[in-house]
Amino acid sequence: MTLYVAGADVGSTTAKVVVLDATGQVLGTSLGPTGASIVEAAQREFQEAVKAAGIDEHEVEFVVGTGYGRFKIPFGDAQITEISCHARGAVHLFPDTRTIVDIGGQDTKAISVDERGEVVDFSMNDKCAAGTGRFLEAAAVTLGLTLEEIGPLSIQSSHRLRMTNVCTVFVESEIMAHMMKGERVEDILRGVHNAIAGRSISLLRRVGINPAVTFTGGVSRNAGMVRSLEEQLELPVHVSPLSQHIGAIGAGLFALDRARGGAETIRAAIPTASHAGHAAGGDH
Amino acid sequence: MMAATQPVAPSAEDAGKALQKQLLAEYYHSLSDEGRNGRKVAYLFVPGNVVELTQCFDMLPVYPEINALQCGIKKVAGDNILRAENLGYSSDVCGYVKNDIGLMLADRQSPFGQLPKPDLLVCNFSGCNTFVKWFEALAHFYGAELFVLDVPYLRERSPSKADVDYVTAQLEELAAVCERITGVPFDRQRLRGVLGQSVEAERRWVEVLHTAKAHPSPFDAYFEAVFYMAPLNILRGTEGCAEYYRLLLEDLRSRVHEGRGPIPEEKFRVVIEGPPPWPHFRSFWELFKRWGVCSVASTYSKVGGLFDQGIFHDPSRPFESIAEYAMNSYTNWNLGLRLDLLRRYLKEYEADALVIHSVKSCRSFSVGQADFRDALTRGEGIPTLMVESDLADPRYYSEAQLKNRIDAFFESLAHRRLVGG
Repeated sequence: MTLYVAGADVGSTTAKVVVLDATGQVLGTSLGPTGASIVEAAQREFQEAVKAAGIDEHEVEFVVGTGYGRFKIPFGDAQITEISCHARGAVHLFPDTRTIVDIGGQDTKAISVDERGEVVDFSMNDKCAAGTGRFLEAAAVTLGLTLEEIGPLSIQSSHRLRMTNVCTVFVESEIMAHMMKGERVEDILRGVHNAIAGRSISLLRRVGINPAVTFTGGVSRNAGMVRSLEEQLELPVHVSPLSQHIGAIGAGLFALDRARGGAETIRAAIPTASHAGHAAGGDH
Repeated sequence: MMAATQPVAPSAEDAGKALQKQLLAEYYHSLSDEGRNGRKVAYLFVPGNVVELTQCFDMLPVYPEINALQCGIKKVAGDNILRAENLGYSSDVCGYVKNDIGLMLADRQSPFGQLPKPDLLVCNFSGCNTFVKWFEALAHFYGAELFVLDVPYLRERSPSKADVDYVTAQLEELAAVCERITGVPFDRQRLRGVLGQSVEAERRWVEVLHTAKAHPSPFDAYFEAVFYMAPLNILRGTEGCAEYYRLLLEDLRSRVHEGRGPIPEEKFRVVIEGPPPWPHFRSFWELFKRWGVCSVASTYSKVGGLFDQGIFHDPSRPFESIAEYAMNSYTNWNLGLRLDLLRRYLKEYEADALVIHSVKSCRSFSVGQADFRDALTRGEGIPTLMVESDLADPRYYSEAQLKNRIDAFFESLAHRRLVGG
């Protein structure tokens, strides 16, 4: 019988699911907005991914959940944080990865891994969403553009413009101020992308920037962001066409470990979901 | 259920808990209108304070920092903080300060009854330079006398003679102020007696802390130590305080003997740096417990004194030892000394990692923490986790984000262990 596993990454903005075969090959993927119901989003994307893989739901042996919604995934057999999953997925796709920068909806993470792909250190943005995907969203909304439009537009910029803050709330007034001065949209967008890149790089510096750098998460689909990062890092960065699914792929690979029951499985050391539910039960 | 046929002697654990409860109840009663008996009230800060001296004048100590943390635990700090912000205090100001201002605006009604107004504010600010502004504000609002004890920053491992002389001279001045306010004449012999009680408690406390070197540690040196340290921080210099630590030590030694710890299985031993998020204390602790994490040493449990570093009061050198104690408060140590202390704790208590709980509004603690992290993680390969919230303001606590970071950290430690990293 062929072995199938899945990884489900339910983040603050989008839910991503991948189905893998026994060799770690990606057979099917799905992606959709998380919305108000984590449970519904996870279920819907799981069904989509299974369909895309051309298999039956029941054939999936083991599912690992990751992302903020990981404890709410009804069909998840285990939960692993997205730090471990992004590292695992990035190293799987680009084995020379030593540093990972993941920019998602409300978190930016810098992760350093050793030559075996083990997480050595990680650093995340503090509580505020400055410099995350939300910042780009706020900028796009202010300019009346879609998220898909802003990256390519920023690449057309010819004039360097500096954004003085990366606050998601105040970016609107700063953009308005630039508009009133008659600055071009392309240049403003370039400034926005550069601001996020700068913020991400300071996180990367905390863990150490060792090549190769792999860029993951929803924001890595934005070509303008890739360019700003590469320029400021003075290094090329790996970006996979599956970069948005890297956390889910990592989760799927952990699911594969588990399905095989190997002693190396991370699951052995992880508290169970029931413990997690108790801890998340709030204050006593 | 078995019926007790004969009285059983209470265990040291029960006796210790009962004594702590009784001592603190007596303390809070002494602060009430009926309990004060005309005694004057001195407001003091915990780190490097001069309570042995004010006791010689029968003054009752009030510790606004302790009131703040108690308000945090009892979940009323949020309301106090809002009152202070309504008065104009910025969101960036220390949560303890704003809690205290808010408490004052609420007629000093704390969860433990109405607190008395100060007759004297002794600003021993070696715990934090914000303390000066805090007591200046209280002096203004209450119209109370303010005595600023100017304590030099500790640049070297030991204070210089000039620095000790400088603080000692101020203590002589303070004694005269207390005499004037209370009408009680200063008695050096009495001070020696009070200091003698302090040292006894301090020495036992050090032995308590050292029991955490056992595997498993008999107690959590952060989440439980903050309760164990209460008598030392509130009642130092009293007989009951020294007795409490005798009982606690006996209790912990029996726990070590039985191999009993605070969690079912000690999987990770950590050193914790920084003050706890009081409004979410229990849920924060749970985030660590579920990973089998036990704190074996912490810096916050040393805010009342670095006794385990050999800094004790000394009845034979009363003023000088108070001066040295004041200068040797943890946050008055320079960053190099603090980093060395963390290194020693990690080694001596055989810890697997350092956890930093950083509090933006607490400048005295948070300064240098990012450097500690860098030096230990990148320089020495010691895994270090840095998380952030606030010590009193419940609005700065985001459980989902904290949990994510804590899970990721221990998950990767667990995985590295599995693969032999």
